[in-house]
Amino acid sequence: MRWMAIDMATARPSRRRFLAGAAAAGLAPNLTWADAGNPTYLAAARLPDEIYLLFGLDAEGQVAFEIPLPARGHAAAGHPERPEAVAFARRPGTFAIVLDCTTGAEIARLTAPQDRHFYGHGAFSRDGSRLYTTENDSELGDGRVGIWAADDGYRRVGEVASGGIGPHDILRLPGSDTLVIANGGIDTHPDTGREKLNLPTMQSNLTYLDPSGEVIEQVSLPTEMRLNSIRHLAVHADGTVAFGCQWQGDLAAAPPLVGLHRQGQHPRLLAPPDNAAMNGYVGSVSFSGDHETVAVTAPRGNRAVLFNVNTGDTRKVITSSDICGVAQTNDGLLLTTGTGAIKAAKSDRITEVGHLAGAWDNHLTRIANG
Amino acid sequence: MRRLVLLLFLLPCAALASPAQVVDQALETHILPGFADLESKTKILAELAANSCDPDDAALRDAYHTAFDAWVTVSHLRFGPSEADSRGFALAFWPDPRGTTAKTLGRLIRSADPAINDPDTFRTVSVAARGFYAMERLLYDPAVSAADPEYACRLLRALTVDMAETATLIRQDWIMQHADLMRTPGTADNPYANELEALKALYSALGTGLEFAVDIRMGRPLGTFDRPRPRRAEAWRSGRSLRQISMALDGMEPLAAVLATDHAAIAGALKEAFGSARDAVADVGDPVFATVSDPVGRLKVEILQQRIDYIREIVLGDLGPALGVGQGFNALDGD
Repeated sequence: MRWMAIDMATARPSRRRFLAGAAAAGLAPNLTWADAGNPTYLAAARLPDEIYLLFGLDAEGQVAFEIPLPARGHAAAGHPERPEAVAFARRPGTFAIVLDCTTGAEIARLTAPQDRHFYGHGAFSRDGSRLYTTENDSELGDGRVGIWAADDGYRRVGEVASGGIGPHDILRLPGSDTLVIANGGIDTHPDTGREKLNLPTMQSNLTYLDPSGEVIEQVSLPTEMRLNSIRHLAVHADGTVAFGCQWQGDLAAAPPLVGLHRQGQHPRLLAPPDNAAMNGYVGSVSFSGDHETVAVTAPRGNRAVLFNVNTGDTRKVITSSDICGVAQTNDGLLLTTGTGAIKAAKSDRITEVGHLAGAWDNHLTRIANG
Repeated sequence: MRRLVLLLFLLPCAALASPAQVVDQALETHILPGFADLESKTKILAELAANSCDPDDAALRDAYHTAFDAWVTVSHLRFGPSEADSRGFALAFWPDPRGTTAKTLGRLIRSADPAINDPDTFRTVSVAARGFYAMERLLYDPAVSAADPEYACRLLRALTVDMAETATLIRQDWIMQHADLMRTPGTADNPYANELEALKALYSALGTGLEFAVDIRMGRPLGTFDRPRPRRAEAWRSGRSLRQISMALDGMEPLAAVLATDHAAIAGALKEAFGSARDAVADVGDPVFATVSDPVGRLKVEILQQRIDYIREIVLGDLGPALGVGQGFNALDGD
């Protein structure tokens, strides 16, 4: 039993078993996230013996459910209402799985069309009827946003240009259907795995996209930061977007790796005093629950850095081995590490609230209205 | 998982080398001589090309192979001086799944682009049309130069001059700056905060080089059992695919040995693993991996790939932790 691997498990297998039985008997009710144990977060993890799982965690960081995955996951997206999660394969995967989080059953499988592969992130529309996925047109090397009908068996219903090369993270701005996309700028091809094919010409951007495909706004970093790949995003309730970058150049010359952007303005770049210690690599980004802090993790620097959103000052540096996942709690932040730790950061106190006998994968995703 | 069982004790009186000594030794015995060799071999190539640009000229082809060998033996050192200004790409733009090298060369030749007349201007030409893989097209792919042999001749000369210049810039960067940065970590504006970080850069270069050999140099032609892709082998036009592996092993083994200086069990395992990979190279006996489509031939190529993968396992699983430079699950992810 996998539960044995987790010393904090407080799952409700009996409830889930009941629901599975009810569904089998044709009594399936309209399920909500409450039926999946009210998870607030989704996170993929690797357990010993190359076992990969998707976990639902509750507001306290305790396990609400766990579902096996066929391969290493990257990020997950939770449906705004129904207890459905989309687990994306790690780049350059060609599948994503939609899971019923009450039973663990696979509801649908998204298969990238010919000449497309996923980049590992996706976002739901405000009403939950559409799922948007970042993809690569592997023949042209252009970024795409795939559109899937979440209300109709996750059929593919179209795609639009992402506004750049190598789109990675995608989020929806709060209270709107505008999508914000981190076009990392790096061209890859499935034949060559993760080999970076265009570093000499790469240029990353942040694109605001209407779901119809119209570019609302696009922001690039200055030319001298051309090698800064905008990769991960977080959105603030007021529409501010935080982004984390991965520097592709000489680590000695690494510029700020974190930025805040509001539509119509120039991005504000943030760097802690010891910027070099981040080793040119941000893994995840999140605002805190009180909206006053933006946190980024730097697993290659074994640290998370917390900035004051208003002043841009560094508030705190948390050092922790292989720290990568970060998401907001009601009053602070929750962080996960590749060594299995789940940590809560509240004001300036960091406490370990759980531990997995395995490795948490890159991202901790907060379910939109969970 | 085939993993070494390491002895859990240290000999009490063994004099251990510090990370700084290991870095210094790697610089003196491997890195600096390697890039000096690349500079001299690319210079010889440029001198020969100045005399003859006939693609069938045996001496020119020999010089090309010798210079390419010199590059492959340092190709895993893809950081610092090789990374600055895309120099590594300017010498070696591969893999190229979109065929950009052929397209860009074709465009230069068809438009008789005057960029080739001046080395400084040529340096602004796309990296896809420069370096060893572009030159391979000019020497071994008659279709590329057929449109305008006279221009192709001058293009070939411009390429060799550019390659020699790039090699010189890399070596100068090592001698004048980067070697000292690695030797004196922690100074202002030094990318290496301490000795261990300098050591880690070398360790990462070794790990990445092994990964590139397994996944790209061998993985591309192997494709899948149902769909082998022999034409994706590296430098097959010049018959170098297997030689690339052999040279890459020649380049990485000395670095692995230096890094394992203080860890006799690991050093022994690495020596054995490199030896068995070399035996597998000899067994393949097919210079361009054309036999990946044939079950027996494919098996031999797969065995070679597995042997190199085993070296990587020792490096990641044993050497990294022993040196104290291993990386975490997320740190390694790259996403």
